[in-house]
Amino acid sequence: MTSIRKNKVFMGLLYILVFLLLSEWLRPVIELTATGHHRLFLAFVALGLVMAFFDVPWWITGPLKLFYILWFIVYVYTGNLFFTAESLAFVVEQASISLSALFSQDWQATTDVFRTVLFFALLWMAIYLIHYWVSFRLSIFLFYLLTVIFVAVLDTFSPYSGDAAIVRIMVIGLLLAGLLHLARWMERHGAAAKTDKLLVFSIPLLLLLVSSTAFAFYLPKADPIWPDPVPYITSYSGKGGVGQGGVGRIGYGVDDSQLGGSFVSDDTTVFRAEAEEGQYWKVEVKDVYTTKGWELSEEDADEQLYQNGDEVTTDFPPAGEERSSALVDMQLPFPFVLYPYGTASFLMEETLDYRYDPVQQRFDTLQENTAFEPEVYEVFYSEPSYSLTALRETDTQQLAELPPEYDRYLQLPDELPDRVGELAEEIAAGSDTVYGQAQAVERYFGTNGFEYSQSDIAVPAEDQDYVDQFLFETQRGYCDNFSTSMVVLLRSLDIPARWVKGFNEGEVIDTVDGYDVYEVTNNNAHSWVEAYMPGVGWMMFEPTIGFTGASSIDFDLEIDTSEPEEEEMPDRPEPEPEAQPEQPDTGAGADAGPTAGERFLAFVSEQAGKLIAATIGLLLFAFMLFKIRKKWMPKVLIPYYRRKEADAETFEKAYLRLLKQLELYGIKRSPGQTLRSYAEYVDSFYGTKEMTELTAAYEKSVYGGDAQSVDWPKLKESWENLINRTSG
Amino acid sequence: MKATERLGKVIDNIEKVIIGKREIAELSLVALLSHGHVLLEDVPGVGKTMLVRALAKSVGADFKRIQFTPDLLPSDVVGVSIYNPKDMQFHFRPGPIMGNIVLADEINRTSPKTQSALLEAMEEASVTTDGVTMQIPKPFFVMATQNPIEYEGTYPLPEAQLDRFLLRVKMGYPTREEEIEVLTRSQSIPPIEELESVLTLEELLKLQEEVRTIRVDDTIRTYIVELATQTRRDPYVYLGVSPRGSIALMKAAQAYAMLKGRDYVTPDDVQHLAKFVFGHRIMLRSEARYDGITAEELTERIIAKTRVPVQRLVNQ
Repeated sequence: MTSIRKNKVFMGLLYILVFLLLSEWLRPVIELTATGHHRLFLAFVALGLVMAFFDVPWWITGPLKLFYILWFIVYVYTGNLFFTAESLAFVVEQASISLSALFSQDWQATTDVFRTVLFFALLWMAIYLIHYWVSFRLSIFLFYLLTVIFVAVLDTFSPYSGDAAIVRIMVIGLLLAGLLHLARWMERHGAAAKTDKLLVFSIPLLLLLVSSTAFAFYLPKADPIWPDPVPYITSYSGKGGVGQGGVGRIGYGVDDSQLGGSFVSDDTTVFRAEAEEGQYWKVEVKDVYTTKGWELSEEDADEQLYQNGDEVTTDFPPAGEERSSALVDMQLPFPFVLYPYGTASFLMEETLDYRYDPVQQRFDTLQENTAFEPEVYEVFYSEPSYSLTALRETDTQQLAELPPEYDRYLQLPDELPDRVGELAEEIAAGSDTVYGQAQAVERYFGTNGFEYSQSDIAVPAEDQDYVDQFLFETQRGYCDNFSTSMVVLLRSLDIPARWVKGFNEGEVIDTVDGYDVYEVTNNNAHSWVEAYMPGVGWMMFEPTIGFTGASSIDFDLEIDTSEPEEEEMPDRPEPEPEAQPEQPDTGAGADAGPTAGERFLAFVSEQAGKLIAATIGLLLFAFMLFKIRKKWMPKVLIPYYRRKEADAETFEKAYLRLLKQLELYGIKRSPGQTLRSYAEYVDSFYGTKEMTELTAAYEKSVYGGDAQSVDWPKLKESWENLINRTSG
Repeated sequence: MKATERLGKVIDNIEKVIIGKREIAELSLVALLSHGHVLLEDVPGVGKTMLVRALAKSVGADFKRIQFTPDLLPSDVVGVSIYNPKDMQFHFRPGPIMGNIVLADEINRTSPKTQSALLEAMEEASVTTDGVTMQIPKPFFVMATQNPIEYEGTYPLPEAQLDRFLLRVKMGYPTREEEIEVLTRSQSIPPIEELESVLTLEELLKLQEEVRTIRVDDTIRTYIVELATQTRRDPYVYLGVSPRGSIALMKAAQAYAMLKGRDYVTPDDVQHLAKFVFGHRIMLRSEARYDGITAEELTERIIAKTRVPVQRLVNQ
C-alpha cells in the first residue's frame, strides 16, 4: 500500500483538474439562472478544494466556509464589504423570514438569500463528494460522465452554448480519469509514488490525449440529426404566445434563411377579418435565395409614408373604383398591417403613419416614429384582375428587355445545381409565353408525385440546396418548399419572381351584417409566389398542393376580355373549394420556417407511442434476460474466457464468475465460509473434485501471491465443466 | 525432507503415545514453531503430561517439569545463587525453568508471585537473579496446565497474564474406542520410554526461522484484524482481543500453514486457530455466562458472520 495519495504534487494536479471540471458545472448554471458573482462562487469552490487537499480538519473548514457564505450574503445583498451592525441585522432578518416561511411551508415566501444559501450548500456537497471520489476512491468516471451529459443536455435544450465547454470537459476529464487510473494501477502494483516516475508514466497518457484531441478537432464532423431546439425554447420562454407561428417570426424579424424541417401546428388566433370573401393576406416579400432559405436584399428604396385614408401604391393596383372593405381585428400584436391584393387605403382610429418599403413590401405602422401595434383597422381594396389576352401576349423575348431593377428578382445562388435549370427548361418546353411557362411550373407539382406534409421534412445539409433537395430527393414538403421551388424555377427561366409571406384566408366562424368573419390563426401562415408578367405586371401564383390561392379565384372569373377560352377553365379547377383548405390549414403554420424545436417536438410526439412501447419492450426483454441469466450465462462466459489471455488475472476473474454462477444455481456460500470448505461442499454436491482443484490454485494465486503458478489452460477444462453444470 | 514431512513425523511420533489427540499435537507444534506457549486446560489424567513429554522426546529436547504448589517460591522456578565456601563465591544453580520444554503443572495453584516469575521468564526467554541475566536455552517452550474444576486454594491467572500464552487448548476425554486402545497399550511397556527423536533441536530452530517467511497476504491481515475488531464490538464481550492477540493469531496461522505444507496463510488457517488464540483473551460479560456462551463459542459465531476475503484487495 504505497501511498500515491501522499504525493502532494500529483494530488495537487488532480485537484486543479477537479476544480476546472467543477467550474464547468458552475458556469452554465450561473449563466442560465442569471445569478452573477461567478468569481465569488468559483472562489468558494477553490476554497473548499484547497482545504480538502490539505486535509484541514472539519472544525476549521466548516466554520470557514460558513463564514464565507455569510460574507457573500452580506457583500452581495447589502453591498458592505465588511460586517457591519446593519448587515448582520439584515442576515438575521433574512434568516428569520426564511425560517418562518419554511416552517409554515410557504415556499414562495423564501427569499433570494435563502436560495443562495441552498446553492452554496449544494456546492459544498459537490466539493465533498468529489473530494471523496478523488482522494479515497481514486475514481472520477461517474462524475465525468455526468458532467458531459449535463453540458450536452444544457447545450441542446437551453440557450447555453457548450461548444467550447464540451471540448474542455473532454480534455480535462480524460486527463483526470487517466491520471486516476494510473494512480490506481500504481497502488495495485505497489509501485513507489515518486514524482519523476509518475511523470514518465504520464507521458503516454498525455501523448494519447493530445493526439486524440487534435485528431478529433480536425476531423470533419457529422451534422446533427436533430436541429437545434434552442430557438424554440427561447421563443417559448421569451416571447409568449407570439413565438410559435411563422408570423411571430416575421413580425419580430426572425429570418427565413434556414428553411426545412417538420413543425407542429399552433391554433393561436392571429386576427379576425370581416370581409365579403376570403383572400390571402400579404405581409412582406423576400428576394434573395441563399440555397437554404430567404433573405432580404440590401437594396435601398424610397420608403413611402401614408396617412389614414391615403391611396397607397403597391405592385398590385386596385382593379377599379369600387372598393371592398375588410375590418381586421388583430389578436396578436404586430407592428404592421396585413393587406389583401389590390389594397387602396387603410383606416384606423389612431393617428399614425403607414410606412411602405417597396423592397420588403410591408406596411409598417408607426406612431411618432416608433413601432405601433394596431388593434383594429379597416382596409379598402379591390382585387386586381388580369387580362387573359394580355397574358397570352407575354412573349419570352420581352424578358430580355426588362429594366435592371428587375435583376434582383432573377438572382440565383452560384451553387444551385444545374439540374434545377434543366428541369425548369423541361417544364417550360411547349409554352412560349411567360404566363404559360409560369403556369406550367405552378402546375408541375400537382402532377409529378409531390406530397404535401408537415412532418418528416428534411433540412438541407451543409452542401445541399433546399430546392434541389425538394425537387429531386424528397418531393415532400409544405408551402415553403413549393413556393421557394417555384420562385427558383421561374428565375431559372429568367422570369422575375419573389417569395411572399402572409396568411391564407382562414376559416369562417361567423356572419355579421352580411360579412363573413374569418378567423386566421398561426396555422394559416403561408407562403406563395409573385412573378412578373411583362406588359401585365406582378401576379401571384399558388404552387402549393391543396391550396386554392385567393387571387386565383378572382383571376379566373374576371377575365377582362371575356373571350371563351376553353383552355382557361382547366387552369384552376383543381382546387375543391372548401374541402381542401381544411387539411392544409394546420400545415400552413410552417410557413415562416418552423423552428427546430417544433420539428424535434413533432418527432417525439409523433413517435411517442412507439418510443414508449419500444422502451417498455426493451426493459421487459432485459428483465427476462436477467431473470434467466443462469441459463444462458455459461454459453456466453465460456467463449468469452476462452478468448481471453491465458493468465492468472483471467483465471481469478473466471473463478469469481464461477462463484457467482454457483450462487445463482443455488449453492450458497455463507459470508463466513472459506473458499476451501465451500469447494468441498460443491464437490460433494456434484460428485467432482474440480472445485477443490480450482480453489487450491485460486488460493495459491490470491493468498499466496503466486500468480505465476496458475496454469489456466490446464484448469480451464475443470472450470468449463463446473460452469456448464450451473446452467442445469 | 520438506518441513511439512518432518513435522508430520513429529506428530506421528506423538500419536504413538497419545491416542486420538492429533489436533492437540498439531496445536502444540504450532505454538512451538511460533515461539509461543500453550495453556492446557483440563481435568487431571487425560494425558497432558504425556503429551508434553512425547513432544520433548520427539524433538530431542531437554524436558523439565515444575509442579506448582502454594508454597513454591520464585527461586524454585528460576534458580538460586548458592554460596560456595570453597571459592568464597556465589554460584547460580539454574532452576527447572532453564530447559527447552517445560511443563508447568497446575499453574493456578501457586502464588501470584511465583506465577509472575514464570510468566516473565516465558515472555523474555531469560531470567534475572541477583542482577545477572541468564538466557534460557533455545528453543524454549512452556506448556502450562491448569485445572478448571478446583477453585479451592487456587490463584486464577489474571487476564493480562493469560495473554502471554499463544494458545489455550482443552484436551477433552478420549472417545470410547480411543480409551480402549489406551488401555490396551498401557498393558505393555509404557510407550513413552520407546520414543525416539525424529527432529533435532537445530532443525527445529531452523524451522522456527522459516515460519516467519510464510506469506500473509493483505487480505488475510485484514481478515484477522476484522475478526479481532468484531470481538471488541460484541455485546457479550467486556474486553475484546488486544492487538497482541491479532499478532498471535497471525503467527500461529503462519506456523499452521507450514504444518499443512503451504507457504502462505489461508482463511481456513485463521478460522481453525481463532478459537484457540482468542478463547482466553476475551473477557465475557456476565450476560454471556447466563446465556451459557463461552468465549470459544463466541469466536465461532464471529467467524461465521465475518466475511471471508475471497478477492484480491484493490484500491486500498
